[in-house]
Amino acid sequence: MFKKIYTFFASLKLTIFLFLFLAATSILGTLIPQGLNPEQYQELYNPRLFSIFDFFNAFDMYHSWWFTLLLVLLSVNVVFCTFPRIPRIWRLTFRGKKIIDDSIFASSPIRKTIALQKNTPGIEQQSADIIKALVATPVKEEKDGRIYLFAEKGRYSRLGIILVHLSIIFILAGGLIGTIWGFNGQMLIVEGEQSDIVTLFSDAGTKKLDFSVRCSDFAIDFYETGMPKEYRSDVTIIEGEKERISGSIRVNHPLKYGGMKFCQATYGIAGVKNLQIFAKNTTTKDEIILHLNMMKKVSLPESDTFFAIAKFSPDYEGRGPAVLGVVIESDRPHDIFWIFGDNGKTDNQKAGNFTFTLKDFEKIYYTGIQVSRDPGVLLVWFGFVTILAGFILSIFLTHRKMWIRISENQNGGEIKIAATTSGDRKDFEKNLERLLAASVAE
Amino acid sequence: MNDTFIISIVTFIYFFSALTYLTSFIFGTKQLDRAALVVTVVGGIIHTAAIIFRWIHSYRLGIGHAPLSNFYESLVFFSWAIIIVYLIMRKRYSNSLIGAVGMFFAFLPLAYASLSGKVIADIQPLIPALQSNWLISHVISSFLAYACFAISFGSSILYFLKLKSRATFQHILPDLDFFDDITYKMISIGFVLLTLGIITGAAWADCAWGRYWGWDPKETWSLITWLIYGSFLHARLAGGWRGVKMSVISIIGFMAVIFTYLGVNYILSGLHSYL
Repeated sequence: MFKKIYTFFASLKLTIFLFLFLAATSILGTLIPQGLNPEQYQELYNPRLFSIFDFFNAFDMYHSWWFTLLLVLLSVNVVFCTFPRIPRIWRLTFRGKKIIDDSIFASSPIRKTIALQKNTPGIEQQSADIIKALVATPVKEEKDGRIYLFAEKGRYSRLGIILVHLSIIFILAGGLIGTIWGFNGQMLIVEGEQSDIVTLFSDAGTKKLDFSVRCSDFAIDFYETGMPKEYRSDVTIIEGEKERISGSIRVNHPLKYGGMKFCQATYGIAGVKNLQIFAKNTTTKDEIILHLNMMKKVSLPESDTFFAIAKFSPDYEGRGPAVLGVVIESDRPHDIFWIFGDNGKTDNQKAGNFTFTLKDFEKIYYTGIQVSRDPGVLLVWFGFVTILAGFILSIFLTHRKMWIRISENQNGGEIKIAATTSGDRKDFEKNLERLLAASVAE
Repeated sequence: MNDTFIISIVTFIYFFSALTYLTSFIFGTKQLDRAALVVTVVGGIIHTAAIIFRWIHSYRLGIGHAPLSNFYESLVFFSWAIIIVYLIMRKRYSNSLIGAVGMFFAFLPLAYASLSGKVIADIQPLIPALQSNWLISHVISSFLAYACFAISFGSSILYFLKLKSRATFQHILPDLDFFDDITYKMISIGFVLLTLGIITGAAWADCAWGRYWGWDPKETWSLITWLIYGSFLHARLAGGWRGVKMSVISIIGFMAVIFTYLGVNYILSGLHSYL
C-alpha cells in the first residue's frame, strides 16, 4: 500500500501530467479574464457558462483551491523524486576516489580490456595520455607489480540536477509564504493629503497601516514627442507625529519602509485649484479675472450676485476641460452652466450680464501607490539563485572518472580500462575508441 | 544611411544565404556550404553593426537606450539571436539543410520588420516602465531562448520530413538521430535561457509592479512555455523518450513560444504591452 502511494507520487507520469495539466489550465486562465466583478462576467457569459465557470473558480483561477492543490502535488512529486536519489548521487559525487579498485573493471558502465604484446614500450605514457585527453591528468599508484592510473573531473555536475529540483521547492514554498503572510494592494492619495488605508487586491478588503503616507506632490514629465517620461510621487512616511522618511517614488524605483514596498502604479486627476475665470460684463464692457477655488464663492463686480465653481471635468463631452459655474443670487443658485476654455470652438458662456471663459487652472492629482509585503520573497530569490547554479553545474560540468590498470608479465599482459560519465556515454566511448585506435595501432 | 535601411539589406543577405544553403544541400556541394557560411557571417556582422549604430543614434537623439524596446527592435534582435545560436550550434551540427532552415528563420522576422510596412521603425524614447537595468538582461536571455527554440522547431520539422519523405529524397537527409539530437540540445539550452529570462523578468516585475509574479498573460504564457519544454526534458532524460513524440512536443512548444512573443500582445491584454 505504502509502496503504491510512493510509486504514484514519485512517478514520471505524474510529473508530466502535472506539467501539461498546469499548462492547459493556465491557458484557460489567460482566455477567461481574471479578477473582474460579477456584473462584468454576467455580461460576458451566458448564465449557464457563468455558473460553470463560477463553480470552478475560473474567475480567480490561479488562487483557486484546485490550482493550489496542483502546485502542492507538484511539490510532493519533486520531493518524492529528488530525496531518494540524493544518497546515490552523493556517493557518486564524493566517494570513489579510490585509485586502486579492482572491482571497478568489472562493474563500470564503460569498460574495456586490451591484451598487451610482450614488452610494449611506453604503454604507461600512452595510457596517461588517453586519460588526460578524455578526463584530466591522472594520478598513479603501484601495487603487486600493477600500475593504476586514475583521473576525475567535474565531480559536482550531478549535484546540479538536485539543486535545480530543490529550487523548485524553495520557489513554490516562497510563493506559498507570500500568499499566506503577505499582502498586496493599492492606496490612492490626493496631493497634499495623507492616508493609511490600503485597498487589497482581489476583493480582500482593506488594511490599515501603522503609519501614514503623505503625498506632497505628484508630477508627470513628458518627452518632446508627448510620450510620458516619468511619473513621480514625492511622499513622506509619518508615524505618529514624526516624519520618518521622505522620498520620491518613480516607476522602477520603489520606496521601501517597514518591510513594505511602495511602487508607483497609477494616477488620476482629483480636482483643480487656483482657477482663473475671465468674466466680462456685456453691458459695461468691464473685464475682470476671477481667482477662485472649488466651492468658494466670489462676488461679481457691480452686482449683488456671487459666482462659484461646483465641478471640474477634464474633458466635458469631448470639448476639452470645463468647469461647472454657478451664479448665485440671494443665496440661491440662479444659473448653472459649463464654462470652457477659450479655444475658439465654443462660445463664451453667458449668464445675465456676464460671459465667462476658463482661463487657467492647476490640476490636483491623486497618485496610486501599490503597497506590498512579501515575507516569502527572499526564499524565492534564493530559489532563483540555486536553480541557475544547478543549471550551470549540470550544463558546464560533466562528471567523468577513468581508471586504467596495466598488468605486465613475461607473456605480455593486459590493460583494463573503466570509466563513468554523467554526460553522453556514446560520445565518450567513441572518443575512447578513436584514441585507442591511434595509440594501440602499433 | 540609417540602420533600418541597413537592416533591409541584411534581410536580403539572409535570404540569399538560405538559398545558398539549400542549393548546397540539394547538390551536396561542400564549397557552396562554405560560401553560405561566409554570406551568413558577413550578414551577421552588418546586422550587429546596424544594431550598434541604432544604439549610438538613439544617444544622438537625446533618448539613448539599448535598441530592445519596441516591436521593430525586438524582431531585429530575434533574427540576430537566431544567427548567433546558429553559428554556435553549427560547430557541432554542420549540415546545409539546418543552415537553410536557420537562415530562413533569421530572414522571416527581418522581412516582416523591414518589408511589411506595418512595423514602426522609429527610435522611440523609453516609457517609464522600461527604464530599468533589467531591460537588457531580460530581453537578451528571453530572445536567445526563443532562438534556440526556433532552431529546435526547425529540426523537429526536418525530423518529420525525413520520416515521411520518399526513399529517393530520404537518403540525402541525415539520420533521424541527428535531428533528434539537435532538438534535444537546443531545447536544453533554450530551457535554461528561458528560466533566466523568467527570473530576470520576475526581478524586474518586483521592482516595477511590486510583485515578482502576478499571473499577467505574458508571465503566464512564459510559464506555459516553460512547462511544455520542462515536460520535454523530463520525458527524454527521465523517461528515455525519443523520436516522434519528442518532435511533437517540440513543435507544440514553439507554438507556445510564438504565442508568448506575439499572441499575448495582439490577442490578450496585460501589463507587458510593449512586447
